[in-house]
Amino acid sequence: MPINGNADPGLLTQYAPAMASLDTEALTLPNVKVLQVIYEIDDSVMADLIPPALHPTIPPTMHVIGMRAEDGPLGAFTIAIVRVGCRAAVRPRGLPTRAVCTEGEAATALTERWGFPITIGEPVLRQRYDRQSIEVNDGNVTVLSAQLIDPVPIGNADLLYTAGMHVANIERDGETRPWLIQVDPEFEVSRADRGVAQIDAFDSDFWEAPELRPVYPIVASYTTANITLPRIRYICDPLQPAISGTIAL
Amino acid sequence: MKFGIFYEISVPRPWENNIEHTVYHRCLEQVRLADELGFHSVWAVEHHFLEEYSHCSAPELFLTACAMQTKQIRVGHGIVVCVPQFNHPIRAAERAAVLDILSDGRLEFGTGRSATWTELGGMDANPDETKETWDEYTRTIPQMWTNERFGYEGRAFKMPTRAVLPKPYQKPHPPMWVAVSSPGTEVDAAERGMGSLGLTFGGFAEQEQKVQRYRRIIANCEPVGAFVNERVATVNFLYCHPDNETGIKTGSRLTGSFGYLAAQLLPVREVHPTRSYPNPGLLAASRAQAEQTPGEGASAPEGVCIGNPDRLIEEIRKWEACGVDQINFLLNALETIPQEQVLDSLRLFAEEVMPHFTDDKPATTVPTRELAGAPAAGD
Repeated sequence: MPINGNADPGLLTQYAPAMASLDTEALTLPNVKVLQVIYEIDDSVMADLIPPALHPTIPPTMHVIGMRAEDGPLGAFTIAIVRVGCRAAVRPRGLPTRAVCTEGEAATALTERWGFPITIGEPVLRQRYDRQSIEVNDGNVTVLSAQLIDPVPIGNADLLYTAGMHVANIERDGETRPWLIQVDPEFEVSRADRGVAQIDAFDSDFWEAPELRPVYPIVASYTTANITLPRIRYICDPLQPAISGTIAL
Repeated sequence: MKFGIFYEISVPRPWENNIEHTVYHRCLEQVRLADELGFHSVWAVEHHFLEEYSHCSAPELFLTACAMQTKQIRVGHGIVVCVPQFNHPIRAAERAAVLDILSDGRLEFGTGRSATWTELGGMDANPDETKETWDEYTRTIPQMWTNERFGYEGRAFKMPTRAVLPKPYQKPHPPMWVAVSSPGTEVDAAERGMGSLGLTFGGFAEQEQKVQRYRRIIANCEPVGAFVNERVATVNFLYCHPDNETGIKTGSRLTGSFGYLAAQLLPVREVHPTRSYPNPGLLAASRAQAEQTPGEGASAPEGVCIGNPDRLIEEIRKWEACGVDQINFLLNALETIPQEQVLDSLRLFAEEVMPHFTDDKPATTVPTRELAGAPAAGD
């Protein structure tokens, strides 16, 4: 059977939030700019980056996601997210290892209601004529720089976004421990471009993904979309295979 | 209705103790038995890098071994990947012709283009261009087979005039097929006068629509080859057991394992948005299959050929009513079913199910250009 992850869920990310409640309402963020840069990664650590509940994709992948909302119910914000591509049983998923978000209502809501592993920072999403990029600095060090180069329009329906499995500490049956929270936003895309993917800087330690090395670009996309963050419907025990450890709420 | 067997050659981890050798030789033993039992054809996929799911990267060699060890069963490429980074069209034509000669004219030539980033990325092929290259291959390979010399200048490749040798044993050439895993590809097959080699595990309603569309369009097609190969094949699972519950339980392990493995791969559409792959195709269908059949205790999904002979006869009758001419069976995945049980399943199927389906309808192969030669294409 496929390879399982072997990471200790408690050590996956020190930024896993505590979620007091999973009973959150859906929320639509209008006209969000979304840059996604997908790379194949070094396979030698692929199982170390995800818990036993999940399988690495074949080949193993990472998603760098930058999003910027200009307005909407959570106000203006920019966020950068690094995820490891994976499977929960037969379902395509991405496991965020860390996210950096501008300070404000969005950071709080995304952390507390949907379990994003957020720290506060100043990610910058740039849109130029010939490229779009996301950049994150830690002090004077650039810990992430990823780009889409030479955008060309594609059909809005050509693009798929995979759902997230977020590590969050929740209390269940009297015990507080890490669980995987399924976050499957709906994307209503109004414009989509595709281009060459390029990662110029990536500090794996900063992103809580030790030894993760992007090695082969797949593709990058840049869209404008209405994103509906969902109600939480499923959680999964990170120590059990997702096919048996998934619980419907 | 004809019956074939279909190989992905799935090899479970750990890949130790020459497990690949064991699996390949078990497959060959199954093929020899299928030949004795009267199965029509053996098909082998071409896949690369698909861990555990398929270790069948050189199907021409496997099919040659099949041909050398059997007498009647036809050998089918299901399919040759028609993308230059995988196979140069001249080499594809040459290898197929040799296999046709060595098998005494038993080759069925399936064509396709791959649907995973796992493979296309691994071969550094551009997913945007695979439909175009496949189209060019299907139009040029028959000419390489039937013209003494052939020269060409196209998008996927060019060549000055040369004699592509040898020529196939079947005249004018072996029957040609298209892998149909996405809705709409049956139209591509029909427009070119090629057989529709279904590779999804969809239900009856979906299949019936596809067959009707295919038959309607192929009636007025412009064949890429020298004749029209009007045939519709579909793929299915096979586990036949005297006890229905045991058959379904064991067969469900097979279907579940297959779908679970397929879901681990990266379909092009998931990571590389392109209009060239508008539909999720086989992998999504397999994912749905895995979810429908989580393992032991599951009931058999519609149309899946697992269970006792009576159930299989009933399901195959429904496929027949949909207009399907041939069913190709996947016999194992991850070696989930022990070899002796696979062989017993084949024997029971041949003894109690096959006789209910006459094989008197000749394949519809309509010559459009008369060429000299002995054995007719098809069978």
